[in-house]
Amino acid sequence: MKLYLYGIIDSSSMIRESICGLEGSRVYNIPYCDIGAVVSEINQPIQGVSERVVLEHEAVAEKLMEKFTVLPFRLLTILDGRENVLSMMDDYYGDFRDNLDRLRGKVEFGIKVVWSADKVKRRIINAYRTKNQNVHLSDDSVERRFVREKFEEHKIDSAFREKADGYINAMDVFLGKFATAKKLETLRTENLLLSAVYLVTKDNQDNFREAFEHVRTARKDLKYLVSGPWPPYHFVILRRKSQPLRNSGQTAIFDKAIVRPTLVEADRA
Amino acid sequence: MTMNSVVETDFPETFVEEMEKLQEALPRRIDANPKNVEKGLAKLVLTLVELIRKLLEKQAMRRIEAGSLSDEQIERVGETLMKLETKIHELKEVFGLKDEELNINLGPLGDLM
Repeated sequence: MKLYLYGIIDSSSMIRESICGLEGSRVYNIPYCDIGAVVSEINQPIQGVSERVVLEHEAVAEKLMEKFTVLPFRLLTILDGRENVLSMMDDYYGDFRDNLDRLRGKVEFGIKVVWSADKVKRRIINAYRTKNQNVHLSDDSVERRFVREKFEEHKIDSAFREKADGYINAMDVFLGKFATAKKLETLRTENLLLSAVYLVTKDNQDNFREAFEHVRTARKDLKYLVSGPWPPYHFVILRRKSQPLRNSGQTAIFDKAIVRPTLVEADRA
Repeated sequence: MTMNSVVETDFPETFVEEMEKLQEALPRRIDANPKNVEKGLAKLVLTLVELIRKLLEKQAMRRIEAGSLSDEQIERVGETLMKLETKIHELKEVFGLKDEELNINLGPLGDLM
């Protein structure tokens, strides 16, 4: 019998509330020591990640989040039978326990900010050209002109990135104040100025949202997207890289887990 | 069962567009089979060569910025970078590869192309 895994929770007790999982199947807890793996049974293979699977998986993770600390599994984590679930729990118990303790009472918020890269670049280019308009290149060789062009591109690109960093630092002053951890990615595309996730204690959710509103009001020329509260998908830290699960096509159990390099070294020793 | 988490934005189309761009930029698998093994390998090798070329270019620009290269050295750097760029362009044409196909995600450094 195949089991679909939703997450690890900090409880080995039975889930009393009735929760429906994928295909409407009953969600239950498989206990291991003082923690548990929340699963439901599946009768037929799931054909890839669909919108329905995403929503149903997330709905279960959120329902669990109301009562427990949850380490949400990546989508379509499926194991062949209870024995394999217990074996996986045995392999990862230390990591699961550490993460559950660290992430207790915390949720994740996502922030994305889009700017108009074209406009910003145009302004930078104009400023650069105005500043360098008296530089004449007529006596340059082809090689020197090539380098000069590359250098101009390099300066413009550096100024563009500096500008982006300035915007992000200013926003992070407000948002970071209410977060216990964060991951910021700058310019994943030229327009996607910021793609960030913040780990926030449940008590601080309102403060965080207020800070976000402050940022949104202060810079109305940018476009914002805020999402959450989510289970802490991006803040699970593993001591070693997760191995492919036995009897499963799954190559890793957490979607965005970080591996701590120092502890990897310690494990090897 | 419904979700409680919310996604709020006044510009959903903008964010969908950016997310789609990101999906396109994700590293593709090398599709190696007996028919296209040459192209698959060329793509891999050229991606790495392009990565090295960009690193060299960045390093050179930093040194020029810092003023640590003489005129003669700048001239030589220009010649080398030009030749490298031309050669890579020629190889891309030979193997029918486009710029966007030579892309890898460099983690915190972003995408190569």
